[in-house]
This record gives sequence, C-alpha cells and structure tokens, in this order.
Amino acid sequence: MSEPRPYGIAAEFDDADQLVTAARAAREAGYRRMEAYSPYPIKELDEVIHYWNLLPTVVFLAGVLGGFTAFYMQYFIAAIVFPTNIGGRPLNSWPSFIVITFELTVLFAASAAFFGMLFFAGFPALYHPMFRVPTFRRASDDGFFLCIEARDGHFHPDRTARFLQDLEPVNVWEIDE
Amino acid sequence: MTVEEKQRQTARPQKPSDEGKPAVIAPGATFHGITSQITSIVLRKSVPPFWVWAFACGIAALFMFVGAVGYLLAAGVGLFGINIPVAWGFAITNFVWWIGIGHAGTLISAILLLLNQSWRNSINRFAEAMTIFAVACAGMFPLLHLGRPWLFFWLLPYPNTFVIQPQFRSPLVWDVFAVSTYATVSLLFWYLGMIPDFASIRDRAVSRVSYWTYGILSFGWRGASRHWRLHETASVLLAGLATPLVLSVHTVVSFDFTIAILPGWHSTIFPPYFVAGAIFSGFAMVLVLAIPIRSAYGLKNLITERHLDNCAKLMLATGLVLAYTYAIEPFTSWYSGNTYEMYVVHARAVGPYAWSYWAVIMMNVIVPQLLWWKSNRTHTVRLFLISMDVLIGMWLERYMIIVGSLNRDFLPSSWERFVATAVDNAILYGSVGLFVVLFFLFLRTLPMISMYEVRELLPFSRPGGGTVK
Repeated sequence: MSEPRPYGIAAEFDDADQLVTAARAAREAGYRRMEAYSPYPIKELDEVIHYWNLLPTVVFLAGVLGGFTAFYMQYFIAAIVFPTNIGGRPLNSWPSFIVITFELTVLFAASAAFFGMLFFAGFPALYHPMFRVPTFRRASDDGFFLCIEARDGHFHPDRTARFLQDLEPVNVWEIDE
Repeated sequence: MTVEEKQRQTARPQKPSDEGKPAVIAPGATFHGITSQITSIVLRKSVPPFWVWAFACGIAALFMFVGAVGYLLAAGVGLFGINIPVAWGFAITNFVWWIGIGHAGTLISAILLLLNQSWRNSINRFAEAMTIFAVACAGMFPLLHLGRPWLFFWLLPYPNTFVIQPQFRSPLVWDVFAVSTYATVSLLFWYLGMIPDFASIRDRAVSRVSYWTYGILSFGWRGASRHWRLHETASVLLAGLATPLVLSVHTVVSFDFTIAILPGWHSTIFPPYFVAGAIFSGFAMVLVLAIPIRSAYGLKNLITERHLDNCAKLMLATGLVLAYTYAIEPFTSWYSGNTYEMYVVHARAVGPYAWSYWAVIMMNVIVPQLLWWKSNRTHTVRLFLISMDVLIGMWLERYMIIVGSLNRDFLPSSWERFVATAVDNAILYGSVGLFVVLFFLFLRTLPMISMYEVRELLPFSRPGGGTVK
C-alpha cells in the first residue's frame, strides 16, 4: 500500500473570535488554500476565505427560463394546440396567463436555489478527510476549525504545523487524504 | 475558566433598546447547551407523556379520516351535504382554512428573515413544519372534492390522447399551479434549513441507525465557510422568492371566488382580505402549537414570552386588517347600488346562516381585541384560548363566505340550504388528526428548533463579542 498523502493540517479553536483572527493571520502569511469550519455562518470569514458565488446568477437564469417556459406552454396550448373560445376572449389572452407564469418562475428559481446549492457545495459528500479529525463533531456544536490544505503552494508539513501552533489553538491535527 | 463559563460571563442583553423586555433567548445559554437540548429531543429513547397522548388522539382521528375518505372514494361525493346551488361545501371551506394556516409559517420563515427579525430564529423551524403539514391537509380537499380523485392528473397539462388540455383562463387551474408551487418551495426551504441541524444530530448519534439516517439526510454537511456562504445565499433567495409566493397563493385562492360573478364573491377586496385572514389564522395555529410544546419539552428558554408576545401582536395587527374588510364589505355593496350585492349583506346578517356571521364577528373581531393588553399576550392559558377562538372563527368565516353566498344567489327559485353530513364532519376533524400525527412525528424525528440560527443569536457568537441585530 502506498503512503497516505497528507490532506492538510487543521487547528481547533474554542470561539469565533480566535477562528477569524487565525484565518486572517493565515491569509497574511500567504496561505490561500484553506477552509474554516464553524457551527454557524460567520460573515467575517467571507472576506478572508474568498469564494466566487455563482448561485445568484444560476437562480436568476432558472427563473427567467421558468417564466418563458410557463408563458410559452400556455400560449402553445391555448392558442395553437387547443384553441377554444372562452367567453369571447382572445386565444392569446395573456393577462390570464400571468399567474401561472409567475408561479413557474418561482418554482424554477427556487428549485435552482436548492439544488444549485447542493451542486456547488459538492453534496452529497458523505465522506471528507476532515471527518478524520477526532474532535470534528464539535464543528456542528461549539468547535471552530481552520484547515490549511496540502495543495497550497506555501504548505510545508512542519512549518505550517508550527504556524498554526503559534495561533494558540486547542489542538492541531495532521490529516491524511 | 472553561469555554462555557466564559460564554456565560459574556452573555448580556442584545440591544440597548431590548432592556426591560423579556429576552429572545433566556440568559445563560451556551452553544453546547443548545445543541444537546435540541438533539436530545430527537435522539433520546423515550417521549414525554404529552407526546404520547397527543399522538394517540391524532391517530384515532386519522383512522376516522381514512375511514371516511375510503367510504367517500367508494360511494362518491353524494356523501357530502352539497347540492346545487351549494356545490362547494365543507371541502372547499377546509381547503381555504388549512392553506391559510400555512401562511404564517412562511411569513415567519421568509418575510421576517428578510426584515432581519432575528427573534424568529427559534420558532421558524416548527412554523415551517406547520406550513408543510397544513398545505398537505389543504391539498387533499380539492382532490376529494373532484368526484373522481384518481383522475386528478387531468388538471395538469400533459400530452394525452383526448386532444384536450387545461383551460388556462380559469382560476381553478391557476390554483393547481399556485398550491403545488407553494408546497414544493416550502418543502425545499424547510429542508435547506435542516441540513446543518441534521449534521448536529448525526455528530451526536449514539446508534448506528440514527448515525446513518441523519448522516445521509445531512448530505455530509461539515460547516465549511464556503458551504455556509452558499447556504445563506440559497436561504435568502428562497426567502425572497417565498415572500411574493405566499402573498400570491392566497390571492389565487381568492380568485377562485372573485372571478365568479356570484354576489358576495365578486369583489376586488378579496385578495388582501384573504391574505390578512390567512396570516391571522396562521399565527393562531403557531401559538396553539408553541404554547403546549414549550412547556412539554422544557423549551421556555428558547421560545420565550417575547415570542408569544410578538406573535400575539402580529395576530392582533392582521386581525385589525380583517376587521377593516368586514366593515368595508357592507359599504361597497351599498355603494355599488347592486340589488343582489346588497341582499347578500342583508342575508348574511339576518338570513339562515346569520349565526355564522355573528359568530365570525364575535370570534375574529371582538375577542382578539383582548390582545391589546400585555397581560393577555403573555398569559399562556388566555393566549391559547384566544388562539383557539381565532382558529374556529376563521373556519366559520370561510363557511360564511362559501355557504352563506352560494345558498342564495340570483333566483329565489334556485335557493337551497346546506346541511353538513356525518362524512363532512368526519373528514374535517379527521384532517386535524392527520395534521397532529404529521406534526408529532416531526417533533419526534426532526430538529424542531433551528440550532444554527439560535447559535447566531447568542451574544458571543460574533468575532470580537459584538452584538447581534
């Protein structure tokens, strides 16, 4: 069996304050490939750990698609496939089509928001190297973790570990892939 | 000093303006305390006696529902008390009532999220659950009312060999799309919020079965900052989409009435009238559920008097909007100069269904005025009774609108009274049983309070110990 490759080095903290301070220090030290894990969203981390969020664009496009689909479906059925005289209204009586156009716009956009979130987050992902951290269950309770990943250009097994150790975490863990 | 001690020391009132008011979260809460309090409700082996009794009653009513529906499917809608002209009896009344109840859940979860009302964080989860189950109950009634429910798919546009398609100028078809979209979006929003909480339960699971179940339900959530960012984006977008949606759903329900030319239905005030009534009855249901649950599960530290007070205030405000529409309806019919419109108002007050009209005025307008007093808003028993009164009053309001308008239309020769049958009643009370069963299964198996959002409410949750808005 080949030697397991390192995934990264993780530091465990007790509060959000320490985590944000540590993430800022790591960024200043030149680390880019890192990830913070917390039991609730911390807005301050967004400035430190950049993420190009495509979700709003995808949701907008899905909404537009939903609106066009709904309107065209109604036009196609009411004016082309099954033209019926209902109280003398025109076949393309578009004001009556607005409600369903709105509903399907919302339906498409909302589905895109949910499934897009899963897709961009890479879910479902039932296994991840971070789950090897013995105390990682605290990340969904009261623990705060910062992991500097091995694929970072600055990563060095000893220097990175010492860097994290200097931030005064509760623990430092080396994680294999 | 341990972390928990440190957290307790830094706990303090959240905003200067909040001093003197009951806290949103009782002081002394810690991250770990909240996690174990909520996860243990799901993971412990036993259930409180309250749960057993309520669930048993729910199951009994559900059996009645299943029996009555089975009989209905076998024998047909002749079992209902409906006739011509009262073709919409209990089934549509129940539909409008249930779907209205759901609306408060979306208001709490979506509209209050956009308005940054963070006190909602500890009640939004079960309010959303209430929405889903209320919509599930609501959705069944139009289907049962169809006559041949197994052909429900004829409502949807699909390629078929009949060369016939839905008639998109009809509000009844709009309703199919509105209600199914509402059910889907509510479900997605509810599930999205539960993903991080499923991870908390997974990480605390003691048995293999619960570890795997909640692990799969959580999709492998690990709280990475990128995931939180996506999660927040998706939540805010879903809230932004659900806000116009919830207003549209009851508007479309009211279109079912207003687009008909029947006196008493054909009115432009119906959309805001229905939306206000929906939120009014929904907050009543939130309180009817929250008051016993917070006592039975010892959640008074998370669902505090502040929540009851705020919900009661919202109930009062929407109740006043409703009272306004009750007052304006006779005016518009008088001002229209239309004989039939004026007669409907007259018949409501003194006709065969006058009892329902006066009960509605009493239960929806007069009794809720008690909520002006703070002592009634924070006294759990009185608030519970007022909420029950509102729930019953709102059911009667829909009964008054539907039966009270249909039974006397244009021609006296076609007038007919409506009398509810045993099957009508069995299905109404049985649907309450279905709701109770679904809701208590939710309490047993899913996180009933949003843990990650409550953690955000704690004063030490922000870097630098800053305050939370």
